[in-house]
Amino acid sequence: MQKRISIIEDEPFIIEALSFLLEREGFAVSSISDGADALTFITTSPPDLLILDIMLPNVSGMKILEDIRKTSGIEKLPVLMLTAKGQKKDRLAAEQAGVSLFMTKPFSNTELIANVHEMLQG
Amino acid sequence: MAGALLGTRIRENRKALQLSQKDLAQAAGLSASYLNLIEHNKRGIAGKTLNAIARALQIDPTDLTEGMNQALLDRVRTAAMRNNQLRTERDRIEEFAARFPGFARLIARQSDQIDVRDEQFAILSDQLKHDPYFAEAMHLLLSNITTIRATSDILATNSDMPPAMSQKFIANLAAEAAKLSKTAEDIFDHFEPTAEEHVSSLDMSAFEVLLEQNRYYLETLENGDQSVDDILNNLKLSDDDIDATRASLHSYAEMAQHLPIEPFIATAKKVNFDAIALAETFSTDLMAICFRLAHLPTKPDLPTFGLIQSDASGAVLYRKQLNSFSLPRYGGACPLWPVYRSLSQPLQPIRAMLDMPMGDRFHTISFAYPTQPARIGMPAVTEAIMLFTPDYAMLPRVAHDQTPQLDVGLQCTVCSRMDCSARREAYLLTNK
Repeated sequence: MQKRISIIEDEPFIIEALSFLLEREGFAVSSISDGADALTFITTSPPDLLILDIMLPNVSGMKILEDIRKTSGIEKLPVLMLTAKGQKKDRLAAEQAGVSLFMTKPFSNTELIANVHEMLQG
Repeated sequence: MAGALLGTRIRENRKALQLSQKDLAQAAGLSASYLNLIEHNKRGIAGKTLNAIARALQIDPTDLTEGMNQALLDRVRTAAMRNNQLRTERDRIEEFAARFPGFARLIARQSDQIDVRDEQFAILSDQLKHDPYFAEAMHLLLSNITTIRATSDILATNSDMPPAMSQKFIANLAAEAAKLSKTAEDIFDHFEPTAEEHVSSLDMSAFEVLLEQNRYYLETLENGDQSVDDILNNLKLSDDDIDATRASLHSYAEMAQHLPIEPFIATAKKVNFDAIALAETFSTDLMAICFRLAHLPTKPDLPTFGLIQSDASGAVLYRKQLNSFSLPRYGGACPLWPVYRSLSQPLQPIRAMLDMPMGDRFHTISFAYPTQPARIGMPAVTEAIMLFTPDYAMLPRVAHDQTPQLDVGLQCTVCSRMDCSARREAYLLTNK
Protein backbone atom coordinates (compact mmCIF):
# COMPACT_ATOMS: atom_id res chain seq x y z
CA MET A 1 0.00 0.00 0.00
CA GLN A 2 1.24 3.47 -0.90
CA LYS A 3 2.66 5.30 2.13
CA ARG A 4 1.47 8.84 2.80
CA ILE A 5 3.74 11.72 3.74
CA SER A 6 2.55 15.17 4.82
CA ILE A 7 4.68 18.29 4.65
CA ILE A 8 4.15 21.44 6.73
CA GLU A 9 6.50 24.05 5.32
CA ASP A 10 6.01 27.71 4.47
CA GLU A 11 8.41 27.89 1.50
CA PRO A 12 6.41 26.88 -1.62
CA PHE A 13 9.51 25.99 -3.67
CA ILE A 14 10.78 23.69 -0.93
CA ILE A 15 7.35 22.00 -0.88
CA GLU A 16 7.58 21.54 -4.66
CA ALA A 17 11.07 20.08 -4.46
CA LEU A 18 10.19 17.77 -1.56
CA SER A 19 6.95 16.66 -3.24
CA PHE A 20 8.82 15.79 -6.45
CA LEU A 21 11.49 13.83 -4.57
CA LEU A 22 8.99 11.90 -2.44
CA GLU A 23 6.52 11.19 -5.26
CA ARG A 24 9.41 9.88 -7.37
CA GLU A 25 10.00 7.39 -4.55
CA GLY A 26 6.37 6.27 -4.74
CA PHE A 27 4.90 8.14 -1.77
CA ALA A 28 1.60 10.03 -1.75
CA VAL A 29 2.37 13.58 -0.69
CA SER A 30 0.16 16.32 0.78
CA SER A 31 1.19 19.70 2.14
CA ILE A 32 0.12 22.90 3.87
CA SER A 33 2.08 26.06 4.62
CA ASP A 34 0.32 27.57 7.65
CA GLY A 35 0.97 26.28 11.17
CA ALA A 36 -2.52 27.28 12.35
CA ASP A 37 -4.18 24.58 10.21
CA ALA A 38 -1.66 21.89 11.12
CA LEU A 39 -3.55 19.80 13.66
CA THR A 40 -6.77 19.66 11.62
CA PHE A 41 -4.71 18.79 8.53
CA ILE A 42 -3.02 15.87 10.29
CA THR A 43 -5.97 14.51 12.25
CA THR A 44 -8.34 14.60 9.26
CA SER A 45 -6.19 12.17 7.33
CA PRO A 46 -3.23 10.99 9.43
CA PRO A 47 -0.14 10.37 7.27
CA ASP A 48 2.51 7.70 7.83
CA LEU A 49 5.18 10.37 8.29
CA LEU A 50 5.22 14.13 8.78
CA ILE A 51 7.92 16.50 7.53
CA LEU A 52 7.68 19.61 9.68
CA ASP A 53 9.44 22.99 9.50
CA ILE A 54 10.09 24.81 12.78
CA MET A 55 9.55 28.36 11.59
CA LEU A 56 5.99 28.64 10.35
CA PRO A 57 3.42 31.42 10.15
CA ASN A 58 1.07 31.66 13.14
CA VAL A 59 2.05 28.53 15.11
CA SER A 60 5.62 27.27 15.41
CA GLY A 61 6.62 23.77 14.38
CA MET A 62 7.74 23.08 17.94
CA LYS A 63 4.25 23.81 19.27
CA ILE A 64 2.70 21.63 16.55
CA LEU A 65 5.01 18.78 17.54
CA GLU A 66 4.03 19.14 21.20
CA ASP A 67 0.34 19.12 20.25
CA ILE A 68 0.81 16.01 18.09
CA ARG A 69 2.40 14.15 21.00
CA LYS A 70 -0.59 15.03 23.19
CA THR A 71 -3.28 14.16 20.66
CA SER A 72 -4.75 10.70 20.84
CA GLY A 73 -4.47 8.75 17.60
CA ILE A 74 -1.51 10.68 16.19
CA GLU A 75 0.73 10.77 19.26
CA LYS A 76 3.14 8.23 17.76
CA LEU A 77 3.31 9.79 14.28
CA PRO A 78 6.94 9.78 13.01
CA VAL A 79 7.99 13.43 12.66
CA LEU A 80 11.04 14.55 10.66
CA MET A 81 11.82 18.13 11.59
CA LEU A 82 13.50 20.40 9.07
CA THR A 83 14.90 23.71 10.15
CA ALA A 84 17.34 26.37 9.12
CA LYS A 85 18.21 26.71 12.77
CA GLY A 86 20.86 24.15 13.52
CA GLN A 87 21.71 25.28 17.00
CA LYS A 88 22.20 22.68 19.67
CA LYS A 89 19.44 24.09 21.86
CA ASP A 90 16.89 23.80 19.02
CA ARG A 91 17.85 20.19 18.55
CA LEU A 92 17.51 19.58 22.32
CA ALA A 93 14.14 21.35 22.45
CA ALA A 94 12.92 19.26 19.51
CA GLU A 95 14.14 16.08 21.18
CA GLN A 96 12.38 17.01 24.41
CA ALA A 97 9.21 17.68 22.45
CA GLY A 98 9.44 14.18 20.97
CA VAL A 99 10.89 14.62 17.48
CA SER A 100 11.72 11.38 15.64
CA LEU A 101 14.50 12.88 13.52
CA PHE A 102 15.96 16.35 13.15
CA MET A 103 17.61 17.61 9.94
CA THR A 104 19.04 21.06 9.31
CA LYS A 105 18.65 23.10 6.14
CA PRO A 106 20.24 23.07 3.65
CA PHE A 107 19.86 19.29 3.44
CA SER A 108 21.03 16.76 0.89
CA ASN A 109 18.18 15.25 -1.13
CA THR A 110 19.79 11.80 -1.00
CA GLU A 111 20.17 11.95 2.77
CA LEU A 112 16.61 13.15 3.23
CA ILE A 113 15.16 10.34 1.12
CA ALA A 114 17.32 7.76 2.91
CA ASN A 115 16.08 9.04 6.27
CA VAL A 116 12.45 8.94 5.16
CA HIS A 117 12.80 5.30 4.03
CA GLU A 118 14.50 4.35 7.27
CA MET A 119 11.85 6.05 9.41
CA LEU A 120 9.02 4.33 7.56
CA GLN A 121 10.65 0.93 7.88
CA GLY A 122 11.17 1.40 11.65
CA MET B 1 69.70 50.04 38.22
CA ALA B 2 66.94 52.51 37.50
CA GLY B 3 69.16 55.37 38.63
CA ALA B 4 71.88 54.20 36.31
CA LEU B 5 69.53 54.51 33.36
CA LEU B 6 68.84 58.13 34.11
CA GLY B 7 72.45 58.95 33.19
CA THR B 8 72.19 57.02 29.97
CA ARG B 9 69.08 58.96 29.06
CA ILE B 10 70.76 62.31 29.73
CA ARG B 11 73.65 61.30 27.49
CA GLU B 12 71.31 60.25 24.66
CA ASN B 13 69.33 63.47 24.87
CA ARG B 14 72.53 65.56 24.89
CA LYS B 15 73.82 63.76 21.79
CA ALA B 16 70.49 64.27 20.05
CA LEU B 17 70.95 68.01 20.53
CA GLN B 18 74.59 67.73 19.34
CA LEU B 19 75.84 69.27 22.57
CA SER B 20 79.18 68.46 24.14
CA GLN B 21 79.38 67.45 27.79
CA LYS B 22 81.03 70.79 28.44
CA ASP B 23 78.17 72.73 26.76
CA LEU B 24 75.48 70.89 28.74
CA ALA B 25 77.40 71.14 32.02
CA GLN B 26 77.72 74.87 31.53
CA ALA B 27 74.05 75.32 30.64
CA ALA B 28 73.00 73.32 33.70
CA GLY B 29 75.48 75.02 36.03
CA LEU B 30 77.49 71.88 36.73
CA SER B 31 81.10 70.93 36.30
CA ALA B 32 81.86 68.84 33.18
CA SER B 33 83.50 66.15 35.31
CA TYR B 34 80.40 65.83 37.54
CA LEU B 35 78.17 65.59 34.45
CA ASN B 36 80.50 62.89 33.12
CA LEU B 37 80.01 60.87 36.30
CA ILE B 38 76.22 61.37 36.05
CA GLU B 39 76.12 60.32 32.40
CA HIS B 40 78.11 57.20 33.18
CA ASN B 41 75.61 56.31 35.86
CA LYS B 42 78.11 56.77 38.67
CA ARG B 43 76.14 59.48 40.44
CA GLY B 44 72.43 59.58 41.11
CA ILE B 45 70.62 62.89 40.80
CA ALA B 46 67.23 64.30 41.65
CA GLY B 47 65.43 67.57 42.38
CA LYS B 48 67.30 70.74 41.56
CA THR B 49 70.13 69.15 39.52
CA LEU B 50 67.68 67.01 37.53
CA ASN B 51 65.51 70.05 36.78
CA ALA B 52 68.54 72.07 35.67
CA ILE B 53 69.73 69.35 33.28
CA ALA B 54 66.22 68.85 31.89
CA ARG B 55 65.86 72.59 31.35
CA ALA B 56 69.19 72.69 29.53
CA LEU B 57 68.07 69.75 27.37
CA GLN B 58 64.75 71.54 26.68
CA ILE B 59 62.71 68.61 27.88
CA ASP B 60 60.43 67.86 30.79
CA PRO B 61 62.17 66.29 33.82
CA THR B 62 59.67 63.41 33.62
CA ASP B 63 61.09 62.58 30.18
CA LEU B 64 64.29 61.75 32.01
CA THR B 65 62.72 59.98 34.99
CA GLU B 66 59.93 58.12 33.25
CA GLY B 67 62.26 55.32 32.29
CA MET B 68 62.15 54.46 35.96
CA ASN B 69 58.37 54.26 35.84
CA GLN B 70 57.59 50.58 36.29
CA ALA B 71 54.11 50.99 34.80
CA LEU B 72 55.59 52.28 31.54
CA LEU B 73 58.11 49.42 31.44
CA ASP B 74 55.29 46.93 32.00
CA ARG B 75 53.24 48.42 29.18
CA VAL B 76 56.18 48.24 26.75
CA ARG B 77 56.82 44.66 27.90
CA THR B 78 53.17 43.82 27.21
CA ALA B 79 53.51 45.32 23.72
CA ALA B 80 56.65 43.25 23.10
CA MET B 81 54.94 40.05 24.24
CA ARG B 82 51.89 40.72 22.07
CA ASN B 83 53.73 39.37 19.06
CA ASN B 84 55.88 36.31 19.61
CA GLN B 85 56.91 36.03 16.00
CA LEU B 86 58.96 39.20 16.06
CA ARG B 87 62.16 38.95 18.02
CA THR B 88 62.29 41.86 20.42
CA GLU B 89 65.11 42.63 22.81
CA ARG B 90 62.97 42.04 25.89
CA ASP B 91 65.98 41.95 28.18
CA ARG B 92 66.81 45.50 27.14
CA ILE B 93 63.41 47.14 27.61
CA GLU B 94 64.62 49.29 30.50
CA GLU B 95 67.54 50.50 28.47
CA PHE B 96 65.26 51.19 25.51
CA ALA B 97 62.80 53.17 27.63
CA ALA B 98 65.71 55.05 29.17
CA ARG B 99 67.20 56.00 25.83
CA PHE B 100 63.97 56.71 23.97
CA PRO B 101 61.26 57.67 26.47
CA GLY B 102 59.13 59.24 23.75
CA PHE B 103 59.13 56.09 21.63
CA ALA B 104 58.54 53.97 24.73
CA ARG B 105 55.47 56.04 25.56
CA LEU B 106 54.30 55.77 21.94
CA ILE B 107 54.62 51.97 21.99
CA ALA B 108 52.88 51.79 25.36
CA ARG B 109 50.04 54.02 24.15
CA GLN B 110 49.61 52.04 20.93
CA SER B 111 49.54 48.84 22.93
CA ASP B 112 46.86 50.32 25.20
CA GLN B 113 44.88 51.37 22.13
CA ILE B 114 45.05 47.83 20.79
CA ASP B 115 43.56 46.63 24.10
CA VAL B 116 40.74 49.15 23.81
CA ARG B 117 40.07 48.16 20.18
CA ASP B 118 40.06 44.47 21.13
CA GLU B 119 37.51 45.19 23.81
CA GLN B 120 35.35 47.23 21.41
CA PHE B 121 35.62 44.46 18.84
CA ALA B 122 34.44 41.89 21.40
CA ILE B 123 31.48 44.11 22.31
CA LEU B 124 30.54 44.68 18.66
CA SER B 125 30.84 41.00 17.97
CA ASP B 126 28.53 40.29 20.87
CA GLN B 127 26.07 42.89 19.62
CA LEU B 128 26.10 41.24 16.20
CA LYS B 129 25.15 37.94 17.82
CA HIS B 130 22.22 39.69 19.48
CA ASP B 131 21.13 41.51 16.33
CA PRO B 132 17.63 40.20 15.52
CA TYR B 133 17.83 41.53 11.96
CA PHE B 134 20.98 39.53 11.34
CA ALA B 135 19.44 36.37 12.80
CA GLU B 136 16.33 36.74 10.64
CA ALA B 137 18.41 37.49 7.54
CA MET B 138 20.58 34.42 8.13
CA HIS B 139 17.46 32.30 8.42
CA LEU B 140 16.19 33.63 5.10
CA LEU B 141 19.59 33.05 3.47
CA LEU B 142 19.56 29.43 4.62
CA SER B 143 16.01 28.97 3.33
CA ASN B 144 17.00 30.43 -0.08
CA ILE B 145 20.07 28.20 -0.23
CA THR B 146 18.05 25.13 0.76
CA THR B 147 15.58 25.66 -2.07
CA ILE B 148 18.37 26.28 -4.58
CA ARG B 149 20.31 23.23 -3.47
CA ALA B 150 17.32 20.87 -3.48
CA THR B 151 16.01 22.19 -6.83
CA SER B 152 19.34 22.22 -8.66
CA ASP B 153 20.04 18.69 -7.39
CA ILE B 154 16.70 17.52 -8.79
CA LEU B 155 17.51 19.10 -12.18
CA ALA B 156 21.00 17.62 -12.23
CA THR B 157 19.90 14.07 -11.37
CA ASN B 158 16.65 13.79 -13.35
CA SER B 159 17.54 14.33 -17.00
CA ASP B 160 14.48 12.31 -18.11
CA MET B 161 12.07 14.72 -16.42
CA PRO B 162 9.19 15.99 -18.63
CA PRO B 163 10.13 19.36 -20.18
CA ALA B 164 7.23 21.22 -18.54
CA MET B 165 8.34 20.02 -15.12
CA SER B 166 12.00 20.86 -15.67
CA GLN B 167 10.94 24.34 -16.90
CA LYS B 168 8.97 24.78 -13.68
CA PHE B 169 11.99 23.87 -11.53
CA ILE B 170 14.26 26.14 -13.59
CA ALA B 171 11.78 29.00 -13.02
CA ASN B 172 11.78 28.19 -9.27
CA LEU B 173 15.55 28.25 -9.29
CA ALA B 174 15.65 31.65 -11.02
CA ALA B 175 13.06 33.12 -8.61
CA GLU B 176 14.90 31.79 -5.56
CA ALA B 177 18.24 33.09 -6.86
CA ALA B 178 16.65 36.54 -7.25
CA LYS B 179 15.38 36.31 -3.63
CA LEU B 180 18.83 35.31 -2.47
CA SER B 181 20.40 38.30 -4.14
CA LYS B 182 17.74 40.60 -2.61
CA THR B 183 18.44 39.18 0.86
CA ALA B 184 22.18 39.69 0.34
CA GLU B 185 21.60 43.32 -0.73
CA ASP B 186 19.36 43.94 2.29
CA ILE B 187 22.04 42.59 4.61
CA PHE B 188 24.65 44.79 2.97
CA ASP B 189 22.42 47.87 3.36
CA HIS B 190 21.72 47.01 6.98
CA PHE B 191 25.38 46.84 7.86
CA GLU B 192 26.46 49.90 5.91
CA PRO B 193 27.28 52.18 8.82
CA THR B 194 25.81 55.63 9.16
CA ALA B 195 27.30 58.32 11.38
CA GLU B 196 24.42 57.86 13.80
CA GLU B 197 24.96 54.10 14.04
CA HIS B 198 28.62 54.67 14.79
CA VAL B 199 27.63 56.64 17.85
CA SER B 200 24.96 54.24 19.06
CA SER B 201 26.84 50.99 18.45
CA LEU B 202 29.01 51.53 21.47
CA ASP B 203 26.43 53.40 23.45
CA MET B 204 26.47 51.04 26.41
CA SER B 205 26.87 52.06 30.00
CA ALA B 206 30.10 51.06 31.73
CA PHE B 207 28.09 48.79 34.04
CA GLU B 208 26.40 47.11 31.08
CA VAL B 209 29.79 46.48 29.47
CA LEU B 210 31.08 45.02 32.76
CA LEU B 211 28.05 42.72 33.06
CA GLU B 212 28.29 41.55 29.46
CA GLN B 213 31.99 40.81 29.86
CA ASN B 214 31.22 38.76 32.98
CA ARG B 215 28.12 37.07 31.55
CA TYR B 216 25.95 38.92 34.06
CA TYR B 217 27.54 37.31 37.10
CA LEU B 218 30.10 39.33 39.08
CA GLU B 219 31.78 36.47 40.91
CA THR B 220 34.38 38.50 42.79
CA LEU B 221 31.71 40.85 44.13
CA GLU B 222 29.47 37.92 45.05
CA ASN B 223 32.16 36.07 47.01
CA GLY B 224 33.63 39.17 48.63
CA ASP B 225 37.01 38.96 46.85
CA GLN B 226 36.44 42.49 45.57
CA SER B 227 34.49 45.43 46.91
CA VAL B 228 32.51 47.89 44.82
CA ASP B 229 35.44 50.32 45.09
CA ASP B 230 37.96 47.65 44.01
CA ILE B 231 35.94 46.99 40.86
CA LEU B 232 35.48 50.71 40.22
CA ASN B 233 39.23 51.33 40.54
CA ASN B 234 39.99 48.62 37.99
CA LEU B 235 37.52 50.05 35.49
CA LYS B 236 39.33 53.40 35.04
CA LEU B 237 36.11 55.26 34.29
CA SER B 238 35.54 58.88 33.38
CA ASP B 239 34.08 61.10 36.08
CA ASP B 240 30.75 61.04 34.27
CA ASP B 241 30.53 57.25 34.49
CA ILE B 242 31.78 56.71 38.03
CA ASP B 243 28.68 57.71 40.00
CA ALA B 244 26.22 55.79 37.84
CA THR B 245 28.42 52.68 37.83
CA ARG B 246 28.96 52.86 41.61
CA ALA B 247 25.19 53.02 42.18
CA SER B 248 24.61 50.05 39.86
CA LEU B 249 27.37 48.03 41.54
CA HIS B 250 25.88 48.79 44.97
CA SER B 251 22.48 47.54 43.75
CA TYR B 252 24.15 44.36 42.53
CA ALA B 253 25.99 43.94 45.85
CA GLU B 254 22.72 44.40 47.77
CA MET B 255 21.09 41.70 45.65
CA ALA B 256 24.02 39.35 46.29
CA GLN B 257 23.82 40.05 50.03
CA HIS B 258 20.04 39.72 50.20
CA LEU B 259 19.98 36.42 48.28
CA PRO B 260 23.47 34.83 48.58
CA ILE B 261 24.19 32.71 45.56
CA GLU B 262 24.92 29.27 47.03
CA PRO B 263 21.84 28.87 49.25
CA PHE B 264 19.78 30.51 46.53
CA ILE B 265 20.85 27.97 43.90
CA ALA B 266 20.34 25.06 46.31
CA THR B 267 16.76 26.21 47.01
CA ALA B 268 16.09 27.11 43.38
CA LYS B 269 17.00 23.58 42.30
CA LYS B 270 14.47 22.17 44.80
CA VAL B 271 11.64 24.22 43.27
CA ASN B 272 12.84 23.83 39.67
CA PHE B 273 13.74 27.52 39.37
CA ASP B 274 10.13 28.63 39.65
CA ALA B 275 10.28 32.35 40.50
CA ILE B 276 6.91 32.43 42.26
CA ALA B 277 7.77 29.46 44.49
CA LEU B 278 11.15 31.07 45.28
CA ALA B 279 9.51 34.35 46.29
CA GLU B 280 7.34 32.40 48.74
CA THR B 281 10.25 30.33 50.07
CA PHE B 282 12.49 33.35 50.64
CA SER B 283 9.58 35.55 51.80
CA THR B 284 10.67 38.26 49.45
CA ASP B 285 9.18 40.08 46.50
CA LEU B 286 9.05 38.59 43.03
CA MET B 287 11.13 41.40 41.57
CA ALA B 288 14.11 40.55 43.79
CA ILE B 289 13.83 36.88 42.78
CA CYS B 290 13.64 37.76 39.08
CA PHE B 291 16.76 39.91 39.30
CA ARG B 292 18.60 37.15 41.19
CA LEU B 293 17.58 34.55 38.57
CA ALA B 294 18.84 36.84 35.80
CA HIS B 295 22.27 36.97 37.49
CA LEU B 296 23.28 33.36 37.99
CA PRO B 297 26.62 31.83 37.04
CA THR B 298 26.69 30.16 33.62
CA LYS B 299 26.58 26.41 34.25
CA PRO B 300 24.96 23.51 32.40
CA ASP B 301 22.74 22.60 35.35
CA LEU B 302 21.37 26.15 35.66
CA PRO B 303 18.79 27.61 33.29
CA THR B 304 19.63 30.86 31.51
CA PHE B 305 17.32 33.77 32.23
CA GLY B 306 16.99 37.12 30.49
CA LEU B 307 15.21 40.12 31.91
CA ILE B 308 13.71 43.40 30.80
CA GLN B 309 12.59 46.17 33.14
CA SER B 310 10.55 48.99 31.68
CA ASP B 311 8.51 51.95 32.82
CA ALA B 312 4.91 52.59 31.85
CA SER B 313 5.97 54.34 28.62
CA GLY B 314 7.84 51.26 27.49
CA ALA B 315 11.25 52.88 28.02
CA VAL B 316 13.83 50.24 28.91
CA LEU B 317 15.30 50.74 32.39
CA TYR B 318 17.38 47.56 32.59
CA ARG B 319 17.90 44.64 30.29
CA LYS B 320 19.70 41.37 30.07
CA GLN B 321 19.24 39.93 26.62
CA LEU B 322 19.93 36.42 25.40
CA ASN B 323 21.36 35.39 22.05
CA SER B 324 17.95 34.20 20.89
CA PHE B 325 15.95 36.97 22.56
CA SER B 326 17.32 40.41 21.85
CA LEU B 327 15.89 43.39 23.64
CA PRO B 328 15.67 46.93 22.34
CA ARG B 329 17.61 49.59 24.20
CA TYR B 330 15.16 52.42 23.63
CA GLY B 331 11.73 50.82 23.37
CA GLY B 332 10.21 49.65 20.08
CA ALA B 333 9.77 46.04 21.18
CA CYS B 334 6.81 43.83 20.31
CA PRO B 335 3.75 45.39 22.00
CA LEU B 336 2.29 41.91 22.55
CA TRP B 337 4.88 41.02 25.17
CA PRO B 338 3.13 40.30 28.48
CA VAL B 339 5.42 42.76 30.29
CA TYR B 340 3.31 45.58 28.81
CA ARG B 341 0.02 43.86 29.70
CA SER B 342 1.22 43.49 33.28
CA LEU B 343 1.27 47.30 33.60
CA SER B 344 -2.53 47.24 33.54
CA GLN B 345 -2.61 44.56 36.27
CA PRO B 346 -0.07 45.69 38.87
CA LEU B 347 1.06 43.13 41.46
CA GLN B 348 -0.49 40.29 39.48
CA PRO B 349 2.21 37.98 38.03
CA ILE B 350 1.46 36.81 34.48
CA ARG B 351 2.91 33.60 33.13
CA ALA B 352 3.09 33.11 29.37
CA MET B 353 4.89 30.91 26.86
CA LEU B 354 6.11 33.12 24.01
CA ASP B 355 6.42 31.63 20.53
CA MET B 356 8.75 33.64 18.31
CA PRO B 357 8.42 33.71 14.50
CA MET B 358 11.72 31.82 14.14
CA GLY B 359 10.51 28.96 16.31
CA ASP B 360 12.17 29.91 19.60
CA ARG B 361 10.03 29.43 22.71
CA PHE B 362 10.39 31.18 26.04
CA HIS B 363 8.70 30.81 29.39
CA THR B 364 8.04 34.25 30.87
CA ILE B 365 6.85 35.77 34.11
CA SER B 366 5.83 39.41 33.98
CA PHE B 367 5.05 41.55 36.95
CA ALA B 368 4.27 45.26 37.44
CA TYR B 369 4.73 47.13 40.69
CA PRO B 370 4.15 50.72 41.77
CA THR B 371 7.28 52.68 42.64
CA GLN B 372 5.27 55.68 43.84
CA PRO B 373 1.69 55.47 45.10
CA ALA B 374 -0.99 57.59 43.48
CA ARG B 375 -1.54 61.00 44.99
CA ILE B 376 -4.25 63.57 44.42
CA GLY B 377 -3.80 64.78 40.87
CA MET B 378 -0.91 62.38 40.23
CA PRO B 379 -1.18 58.80 39.01
CA ALA B 380 0.87 56.02 40.59
CA VAL B 381 4.27 55.50 38.96
CA THR B 382 4.53 51.91 37.82
CA GLU B 383 7.36 49.80 36.44
CA ALA B 384 7.29 46.27 35.09
CA ILE B 385 9.70 43.41 34.61
CA MET B 386 9.62 40.32 32.45
CA LEU B 387 11.85 37.34 33.25
CA PHE B 388 12.28 34.91 30.37
CA THR B 389 14.07 31.66 29.70
CA PRO B 390 14.48 29.34 26.73
CA ASP B 391 15.28 26.53 29.22
CA TYR B 392 11.64 26.08 30.18
CA ALA B 393 12.09 22.31 30.28
CA MET B 394 14.06 22.80 33.52
CA LEU B 395 11.10 24.58 35.15
CA PRO B 396 8.22 22.69 36.79
CA ARG B 397 6.12 21.11 34.06
CA VAL B 398 3.03 22.98 35.24
CA ALA B 399 4.88 26.28 34.71
CA HIS B 400 5.14 25.78 30.96
CA ASP B 401 2.81 22.99 30.00
CA GLN B 402 -0.32 24.72 31.27
CA THR B 403 0.76 28.25 30.57
CA PRO B 404 -1.08 30.38 27.99
CA GLN B 405 0.80 30.52 24.72
CA LEU B 406 1.33 33.79 22.85
CA ASP B 407 2.57 34.30 19.29
CA VAL B 408 4.81 37.34 19.49
CA GLY B 409 7.95 38.76 17.86
CA LEU B 410 10.99 40.79 18.81
CA GLN B 411 10.40 43.99 16.84
CA CYS B 412 8.10 44.68 13.89
CA THR B 413 11.00 45.28 11.50
CA VAL B 414 12.30 41.73 11.95
CA CYS B 415 8.97 39.96 12.52
CA SER B 416 7.57 37.82 9.72
CA ARG B 417 4.03 37.68 11.18
CA MET B 418 2.63 39.76 8.34
CA ASP B 419 -1.00 39.68 9.51
CA CYS B 420 -0.26 40.83 13.06
CA SER B 421 -2.81 43.43 14.18
CA ALA B 422 -0.21 45.05 16.45
CA ARG B 423 2.18 45.79 13.56
CA ARG B 424 3.29 49.43 13.47
CA GLU B 425 6.32 49.17 11.14
CA ALA B 426 6.94 47.22 7.95
CA TYR B 427 8.95 44.00 7.93
CA LEU B 428 12.40 44.89 6.58
CA LEU B 429 13.03 41.59 4.84
CA THR B 430 10.23 41.50 2.33
CA ASN B 431 11.68 38.44 0.63
CA LYS B 432 9.12 35.98 2.02
